[in-house]
Amino acid sequence: MSELDLTVRPLTQLAAISGLRWRLFVNALRSTRGKLELVSRILIGLAFTIGGVGGGLGMGIAASMMISAGKPELLALLLWFVFVFWQVFPIMATAFTNNPDSSDLLRFPLSYRSYFFVRMAYGAFDPVTVLAGLWSFGILAGVGFAKPAVLPWTLLVLLVFAAFNLLFMQMTFAWVERWLAQRRTREIMGVLFVLLMLSFQLIGPLARRFGTRARPEAQRFVEVLAPVQAILPPGLAADAIARAVLSQFMVGVSSLALLCAFVLIIGYFLHVRLRAQYRGENLSEVAAVSALLKDRSLRLGWNLPGFTAPVAAVFEKEVRYLLRSGPMLLTLIMPIFVLVVFRLGPMSSFRNSGALFMRVPDMAFPSAAAYTLLILTNLAYNNFGGDAGGIQFFYASPVSFREIVLAKNLTHASILTIETVLAWIAVSFLYRAPALDVSIAALAGLLFAAPVNFSAGNLLSLYSPKKLDFSSFGRQRASQLTVLISLGVQFVVVGVGVAAFWIAQHYGDFWIATLILLLLAGISLSVYVVILNRIDGIALARRETLVTELCRA
Amino acid sequence: MDLAPTISTQGLTRRFGELVAVDGIDLRVAPGQFFGFLGPNGAGKSTTIKMLTGLLAPTSGRIEILGVDLERNPVEVKRQIGVVPEGMALFGRLTGAEFLNFAGRMYGLNRETAAKRSAELLDFMQLADQPKKLVTDYSHGMQKKLAMAAAVIHGPKVLFLDEPFEGVDAIAAGTLKAMLQGMIARGATVFLTSHVLEIVERLCSHVAIIHQGKLVAQGSLEELRAGVEAQRPAGAGDGAGDRSLRSGEKMTLEQIFLRTVGGSRRAERELSWLG
Repeated sequence: MSELDLTVRPLTQLAAISGLRWRLFVNALRSTRGKLELVSRILIGLAFTIGGVGGGLGMGIAASMMISAGKPELLALLLWFVFVFWQVFPIMATAFTNNPDSSDLLRFPLSYRSYFFVRMAYGAFDPVTVLAGLWSFGILAGVGFAKPAVLPWTLLVLLVFAAFNLLFMQMTFAWVERWLAQRRTREIMGVLFVLLMLSFQLIGPLARRFGTRARPEAQRFVEVLAPVQAILPPGLAADAIARAVLSQFMVGVSSLALLCAFVLIIGYFLHVRLRAQYRGENLSEVAAVSALLKDRSLRLGWNLPGFTAPVAAVFEKEVRYLLRSGPMLLTLIMPIFVLVVFRLGPMSSFRNSGALFMRVPDMAFPSAAAYTLLILTNLAYNNFGGDAGGIQFFYASPVSFREIVLAKNLTHASILTIETVLAWIAVSFLYRAPALDVSIAALAGLLFAAPVNFSAGNLLSLYSPKKLDFSSFGRQRASQLTVLISLGVQFVVVGVGVAAFWIAQHYGDFWIATLILLLLAGISLSVYVVILNRIDGIALARRETLVTELCRA
Repeated sequence: MDLAPTISTQGLTRRFGELVAVDGIDLRVAPGQFFGFLGPNGAGKSTTIKMLTGLLAPTSGRIEILGVDLERNPVEVKRQIGVVPEGMALFGRLTGAEFLNFAGRMYGLNRETAAKRSAELLDFMQLADQPKKLVTDYSHGMQKKLAMAAAVIHGPKVLFLDEPFEGVDAIAAGTLKAMLQGMIARGATVFLTSHVLEIVERLCSHVAIIHQGKLVAQGSLEELRAGVEAQRPAGAGDGAGDRSLRSGEKMTLEQIFLRTVGGSRRAERELSWLG
């Protein structure tokens, strides 16, 4: 037997993992769908590059102007923007995240250090990270242009800031995933999230209670939040740079030291989570069941008046899936959350920039309704993604895909209805009750937009399916082709809606928008019905693709 | 009397590009048969069962289940069959009871019947102990039992099972076997693929062997045994590395299988570095 060196070398393993990712990418190009995915990735990458370079340029100019104007402390605004984008965007647009399940690697003799490194490397190549990195580079260039002497220091501070963001994003996902894995912690998370949203509502009244009425809102905002933000990482990074610009290096060093402390603390919390994963924790609820219960009561399935039993059964199944998916519920609640942020967050304090809905409150409800539909595309454009192996059941059962798809669309339409009602209430509460004509025009807009999205979604669900895990957070990656086409559809739909509202506003009568949108709704509904009636044929023709894609391990 | 077959195929073929996975097979399964479909890895078993259950389109050929053309009337066929495919076709984010209820209603049962049968099946399969547990948290064996329960909830006349005993412990296997034998006793037909030849030999009345996409043997165990015996020179071993049969001793299904597909056990001579 030949002598073999069986020493496990981390670098060899990392090279093997990189090679694996590369082979997966290359092998995916063998199919037509894979090639289309590549084209979509290139186009989306191009959009991100434009956003990154353009944003970086803007950040650079802004940073340079702040330094030149002698107000380096305003860099905090830029760094807070970068921080919020870096952390919030992956939650709001989970389709863009790139975080495959690295825990699969644990079957190999991978050291903990390598595992940690792989997790971080996956995060480092997220489009969001690249985008925020480009913006940070813009800030670096801007500061360097205005004051070249602090360029190395700024580079150091921004590198530590980037490390913080990267660790924070990974830590958030790792912990939220942990908490969402079990029913009890999931419920606690839900309550905390609602409390967090409610707490936003207290900001305004508190600011009014403790502020002076005569002061401008922006100043009041600065006075209340400036001391708080200054001791948080984006504020500390900004302070470290600003102090260097003002030649107060010792204070700058202390800010950087505090930022480093944040990095270490966040890194520790991430380590605790990843270490548990590495040791092979089991987050299933098996262990949590303390007593064996025999439930002999009969539980009847749901009934949907006017619809067949299979439609009701699929509808019930879809609702149960959604109710058990913390990540999906979190995503679906985003429209209301965004409304609250728009109204009570810092954006409402600057009259000339962000407080759009304060100036045109009539547009708040239509915008919220449109955003609701946009969020719903996560589900509607990948109808079967969460079914995984269950797709075989659909094919084996004596039920037409027309009924199955109809039930899924009904679920999505129900969510849309509930969210629209909630949005209407939220707008009434936060701004003012939308006028009747605006409300009806917005509903007509939804009647037009929903069938368009459902039609496109039903087709893409069959032509470009992607397996999704409803229980995982930050791993809900739709097919790039789907993302691209859905963006195109949204662009057209929102464009048509805006045009209808613009025409109505031009003539001072929102009923015109209602009329236009209802006419378009008639057309889009007809298209929806035509496509729905052809779904069976398409589903049969696409069964191999669907079964292969959704049943893969 | 030659009964009309429950399952029949004519020239059933499936190509994947250049590869002919199933090559013009003509199957014939009579009512009430416990039919084992055997073959080495990659022989075309799963591809065949997928085509028989409508999960995969044949490239050519014809399939009739209970006298109904599958391609022309897929819904009518699916109404009368039960399927446990390779991936088990479960919905992981439902509880066992919810899944069975769902399955029952998809097969056209009313709400009360679906709920009643779900409860009975969960009890029979010994899955009723943890009603709030999601299917995704079930063990492999529990998932197999649940998949089987979902496949029979509507009382199918034909049951297709792809590797039903794979990864199932002896207790669960016993439960499944009892249920299948009960179905056969009531006149249903069971078509299963399995690698565990001992189980097939014990359960199945009829067997077909597929090799490299072609059907190489089909019939009752006795017919297959007689066919292989007829080809074997008197007093010779089975040619597949097994011992010679003593006079009067019957060939096992494993011996029949190995002779039919020309298998041999050369592993001892290879991979000398192992261990």
